[in-house]
Amino acid sequence: MPDLLRASELTVRFGGLTAVDAVDLRVGEGEVVALIGPNGAGKTTCFDALTGFVRPGAGRVELDGRDVTALPPFERTRLGMARTFQTERPFEDLSVLRNVLVPAFLRHPRRAEAEALARSALERVGLADRADQPASDLNLARRRRLELAKALALEPRILFLDEVMAGLNPPALAEMIAFLRTLSDEGMAIVLVEHILEAVMQLADHVVVLASGAVIAEGRPDAVTSDPAVIEAYLGTE
Amino acid sequence: MTRIWIIFAGLAVAGLVYPFAMPGMLSVAVTVLLFAGWATAWDIAGGWCGQVSLGHAAFVGLGAYVVALGQVELGIAPWFTLPAAAALAAALAWCWGRLTFSLAGPYFTLSTIAVAEILRMVAINEDWLTGGAIGVFISTLPEPFGIDLFSREAQYWMALAFALGTIALVAILSERRFGYRMRAVREDENSAMAAGIDPTATKLHAFMLSGALTAVGGGIYGIFLSYLEPHVMFYLFLSVQIALTAIIGGRGTVFGPAAGAVLLVGAGEVFRTAFAQANLLIYGILILIVVLFFPRGLVAELTRRIARRRYARSAQSE
Repeated sequence: MPDLLRASELTVRFGGLTAVDAVDLRVGEGEVVALIGPNGAGKTTCFDALTGFVRPGAGRVELDGRDVTALPPFERTRLGMARTFQTERPFEDLSVLRNVLVPAFLRHPRRAEAEALARSALERVGLADRADQPASDLNLARRRRLELAKALALEPRILFLDEVMAGLNPPALAEMIAFLRTLSDEGMAIVLVEHILEAVMQLADHVVVLASGAVIAEGRPDAVTSDPAVIEAYLGTE
Repeated sequence: MTRIWIIFAGLAVAGLVYPFAMPGMLSVAVTVLLFAGWATAWDIAGGWCGQVSLGHAAFVGLGAYVVALGQVELGIAPWFTLPAAAALAAALAWCWGRLTFSLAGPYFTLSTIAVAEILRMVAINEDWLTGGAIGVFISTLPEPFGIDLFSREAQYWMALAFALGTIALVAILSERRFGYRMRAVREDENSAMAAGIDPTATKLHAFMLSGALTAVGGGIYGIFLSYLEPHVMFYLFLSVQIALTAIIGGRGTVFGPAAGAVLLVGAGEVFRTAFAQANLLIYGILILIVVLFFPRGLVAELTRRIARRRYARSAQSE
């Protein structure tokens, strides 16, 4: 099966610091790939480079065989990439429904169709009853779900989730994992940046471990977590 | 949405009845209507899209000069020059936006002051075209169907059509895709991009529309004054007044800018007659009160409170 997303030799430098160092990444249709690594490993920067929010200094990103390295973020969104932000950014002054209408208009210029899509996205994440509430009133777990609804309203082919599970309590976490599982079963490709290993173990088909911007290990979740190099990166050497 | 159109219909009826109820107060009404239209047009860029301009007098002046010079120098009637003025203003907004939308918020605002000033300098110095500092005097106007465009009645209807047309356009846009794109860009450009929105294109389109509409009002203003001079038309204070009217009334609301025009222009007029020398002081105090107690502007603050109360009630009844 051809890769939906392929990054090769992706490199991002900030001044003298190499935040992302020649990272290769492949994501197939319906596959869940997790990017993990200690703090400061370059996960979010890698994410930003994949989605176009940061210009890589070298390397390329291909979506469905098309080179998108030079495309701005909104063009990549139109081609089927959707992302959430680590610090979720709802349009605070707008109602929950209007927050989701913004992305829903991307593929549905007509108001009625966009609204139907927005409502069904809210339904999916369990926020339908809060459609008229201002987004600024939502608590953290609901904000996360709103971010997810916004991304889903883009009808993407590949979803980039930046720590959507951080800070969730155990029931909310279990719900989120189950929901992402459903999405993936429906054929959505997902790239996760995640600190919560429990979630990664349950969701990911493939895990990529970053340390100091470079890939130090990758493979199936159980194989990767027992890799001595990974344990060393997380815990340090004795 | 239907509520907006009910209010709109109420305003339209009030506008239609007014000249028969208060035939002696048409000049004030024309000024209120022009400011209502300008502030609503300003708000497309400044409120809905978050691009605060302090140079909208540039569009007013451009519209007024195009209409006046078209008539005086070329003998072209206003109904041909008004669309031309709108097109020219959109072109100016495009060039201006291309150059400045890479600047962050306050720097864009500063650049807008410069553009209006540049146009003022052009109007003063290029006297072969603009009559220079002396200005342009509109002495004749065509009389379509025997209507005298110099009459206050005719000017009232033009200003009313301008104000209502601008408000109606904003009411329509606010619930369409473009309205949501503007809101998204105003709130957070990165989130907007993540939603597939091109922020620069959105800002440009908002600014072009805002400028074009303002220029139409400017053309009517030129006919209303029938005498144009650069210091009036491209006046920084006019730009500030337009922005202030929208901000006081409520940025990013359909009726806020128009409400601001009624309050500021209406109150300004009343204060001038009632308090003579002290009128600017009272005017300043009025603005302070609004800013202190209605920081989002009158209409925005009211609709917000109503929405919150309604939500709280529906949450309680569950």
